[in-house]
Amino acid sequence: MKLISLLWWREGFSIIRNTFQMLLLFTTFLLGIYAIYYGYSKIEAQRKTISYVEHIEREEFEKYRKSFDKSPVSIQEKHFFDIASKPSYAWYRHEYNAILPPHNLAHLSLGQRDVEPYYRKLTGMSLYYQLFENELANPLKLFVGNFDLSFVIVYLFPLLIIAFTYGLFAEEKEKGMLPLLKLQTIGLRKILIIRMLFYYVLIIGLGVLLSLIGFFLSKEIDTLSICLWLLTIICYLSFWFALMFFLISLKKNSSSTAMSAASLWLLFLIVFPAVLNIYAAVVYPIDNTTIADITRRKGLENEDDLKEAKAVIYEYLEHREDLKGADSLLDTNVMAKTYAAFTSLNDHHNRQEVLDYLNQIRLRKKWISLFRWANPAVNTQGIFNEITRTDSGTFQSFYQSIDSFHKNITSFYHDKLFMNKQLKQKDYKVIPQFNLIVENTSINQTIMRGLIEVMGTTFLIFSFSLVLFKKITL
Amino acid sequence: MKNQIFLIAQKELNDVARQNSLKILFVIITALLGFSLYAGFIVYKQQLTILKTAQDEKRAEWLDQGDKHPHIAAHYGTFVFKPKTLLSLFDFGLDSYTGTSVYLEAHYPHEFMFRPVQGYGNMIRFGELSAALVLQLLLPLLILFITFQTFTKEKETGTLKLLLSQGVTLRSVYLGKLLAYSLIFLMITVPFFIGLYILGVLGNTRAVLSDLGLRIILLFFIYTLYLVAFTNFSIWISFKSSSARNALLTLLIFWIGTGIILPKTSANLGETLYPLSSIKKFKEEIQNDIKNGMTADESKEKRLAQLKARYLQKYQVDSISQLPLNFQGIRMQEGEEYANKVNDFHNAILDERFEHQNKVGSLTSFIAPYIAVRNLSMALAATDGYSFNDFKEKTETYRRHLIRTMNKDMAENSHFGEFYEYKVGRNLWKTISDFRYSTPAVTQLFQYYWMEFASLSLWVLAIFILIPSSNKNKIL
Repeated sequence: MKLISLLWWREGFSIIRNTFQMLLLFTTFLLGIYAIYYGYSKIEAQRKTISYVEHIEREEFEKYRKSFDKSPVSIQEKHFFDIASKPSYAWYRHEYNAILPPHNLAHLSLGQRDVEPYYRKLTGMSLYYQLFENELANPLKLFVGNFDLSFVIVYLFPLLIIAFTYGLFAEEKEKGMLPLLKLQTIGLRKILIIRMLFYYVLIIGLGVLLSLIGFFLSKEIDTLSICLWLLTIICYLSFWFALMFFLISLKKNSSSTAMSAASLWLLFLIVFPAVLNIYAAVVYPIDNTTIADITRRKGLENEDDLKEAKAVIYEYLEHREDLKGADSLLDTNVMAKTYAAFTSLNDHHNRQEVLDYLNQIRLRKKWISLFRWANPAVNTQGIFNEITRTDSGTFQSFYQSIDSFHKNITSFYHDKLFMNKQLKQKDYKVIPQFNLIVENTSINQTIMRGLIEVMGTTFLIFSFSLVLFKKITL
Repeated sequence: MKNQIFLIAQKELNDVARQNSLKILFVIITALLGFSLYAGFIVYKQQLTILKTAQDEKRAEWLDQGDKHPHIAAHYGTFVFKPKTLLSLFDFGLDSYTGTSVYLEAHYPHEFMFRPVQGYGNMIRFGELSAALVLQLLLPLLILFITFQTFTKEKETGTLKLLLSQGVTLRSVYLGKLLAYSLIFLMITVPFFIGLYILGVLGNTRAVLSDLGLRIILLFFIYTLYLVAFTNFSIWISFKSSSARNALLTLLIFWIGTGIILPKTSANLGETLYPLSSIKKFKEEIQNDIKNGMTADESKEKRLAQLKARYLQKYQVDSISQLPLNFQGIRMQEGEEYANKVNDFHNAILDERFEHQNKVGSLTSFIAPYIAVRNLSMALAATDGYSFNDFKEKTETYRRHLIRTMNKDMAENSHFGEFYEYKVGRNLWKTISDFRYSTPAVTQLFQYYWMEFASLSLWVLAIFILIPSSNKNKIL
């Protein structure tokens, strides 16, 4: 214990005296603060958009509901009441929003929230006409990516670890201290581990400190997410310490150690994922041109042709056994029914194409994820995104939830439209609500698996290095 | 002096050739370059086939849509797919982040759909391996590893003093080293760009890119300048450093700071300084301006009343049903023209925002030459934001032409009050020629990227300032 405190004091003093190392620590801290600020401002902007969207929707439906309170007088009021009460208008005029609200810690790891849409306007019209619109974004900014806390931890913290530890052994050798150290009764390995532990505590401490500042900005405290986040930082940074311990164990000179460390950093953070991504594009090319067509606005060739119109409705009713009796009510609102049936049938016919497209994406993602365990950096970024629910899987669930929400919307209006029923004020109490279905258990399992993989790799490297350090003699 | 430079260069090259670790790195980087080019080529070929098939299919659908009212055809519309440029196999640029297809129909200028980035998992944010990435980030790292101890070692072993005492000037030593290390990266880049030139200019490729040959030559020059500047900077750091360790640390910090941290922070800062609105608000503002007018007397009702009055006066008739033209067609086109005006106004504001955001990065390129070469490289490959905007504008011009033609036919050939009774067919569809795209001339890039050119030129000019003068033989 005395030894530990002695060595740690010595390291502490050497850091304080070393302007370069102090500057590195301070810069990383400032970058971390900026990253938290950036992530927070980005998520706040999304929150504002969400509350604006929700506000508009609430207000609109409130107006519809209130329009039942008194008889409409002006033409405008009559028209508005039609939209509120007649399903023939309401089915395509009532606008709903499916929203994926940000997780409490989303500001720490923005993940795919800038690339994927986080809200979607929906009416009873064709789902696919509405599904693929993108949020405004500067493509260069998307390409460069987000400077959030997860970036600072995944990319910059390993560099900090490299900068502080690469010379721990070699410098003693280069300064001629090694013979002196060898004379001590305590082994070199022990001294090295104690010194590394100092930096381990220091750097992990910095990561935890930044995270705490980040947690402080959360709207609500979610203990599980916070614990997982901190555990991930500890596991990932431990991996880099283990890797540095391995490089130091090779007992090369400080320049070689620094070069090897920089190369490994480059391998894990740039080369390996970049090669995998391009290889995935080669092996699993994605053809989205086939589904471009389903976003097309289609209509009847001739609205005056009643026979054609009714044929469309009959075809639709074949899929809707629950609307028994609707076929005898066709003569009212024929055109509205025809269009409602027409868009639903369009979606029905196109469903397979969309599923095929989503399947292409699923297969590619699955293939890429097979390699996740091999790269702790990618694994950690994935875990961070999963903890903060900004991962691509969550967006996939969002899409699926939109699909069922759209089904609810169409059913709600079609049931009334095809059965010649009006919308009543009380119906506004039971209007469709968006229900986000996210499989939390499966996400948590993926997180745990990822953490075990990073821990396993760390343990293996560390144990191997322990043996190696003893074996390699100078 | 020339002989001295060559002799020193030869000695440096021999030194490098003796270091196995550097030889391995050299091989790895060359292999990565080869692989990235091969993969880029496969992706390019795959996409080319997919896009050509899709575009031909959409053209056939447009021509074979059957007889119908021109306004229904205007809503049926067509699709345009963003073509892959040949140089995208070298530099993917923003291709994964811009949409790939757009639906062109009446009334609504749709946004581009399907950003390829959405087809990957989280890993895509780590980037894709392209030949450009190898030349921009990995090759400089190799240069850094080769050069960091070039002077420090000479100083540590005393060979530099020995050389100088024999009458060799410091300038010759410096230039010899610069020549040697430049030759190393030229060994990679020269055959690479010759290959690209043969593939591009002599190969049978679809002409989406204008000035292809010139673009490749410019790419070669830009990369050479960048790598020469980087090499020179590394040698200078080694010259100025007291130890190899210090030189390596300084260079690594520079490489990471300017290649990884600054590009990201500057882009993020740009977004913080010039935030974007949401698509919901953006579209609402457009719809609001179309409905209520951009000025008080331009509301939809007032515009319609003015249009009516103008036509009644022009043809000296009392009611629109007496006009020799179908007023519905005139009205629709007027609506389109006004919507175009509103859209242009809002899009110009949005584009200006993007430009301001990107300018923060361009300014940073004076510190980080990587940003300059990255932006210029994607601009020359026509995979940058401006090329995308140009493509977007041309698709919009095409859409407007298509809709105008449909409305004109409706106004001139159909009667007021009739809709489904009036039908046209293939003869009208044929008058809309197929959409063909070619990038703007390469010279136009200078107006957007003058800062990047200036930054790179400054970095190269620094060579002359940094190289020790011939009468200065003091070792630091």
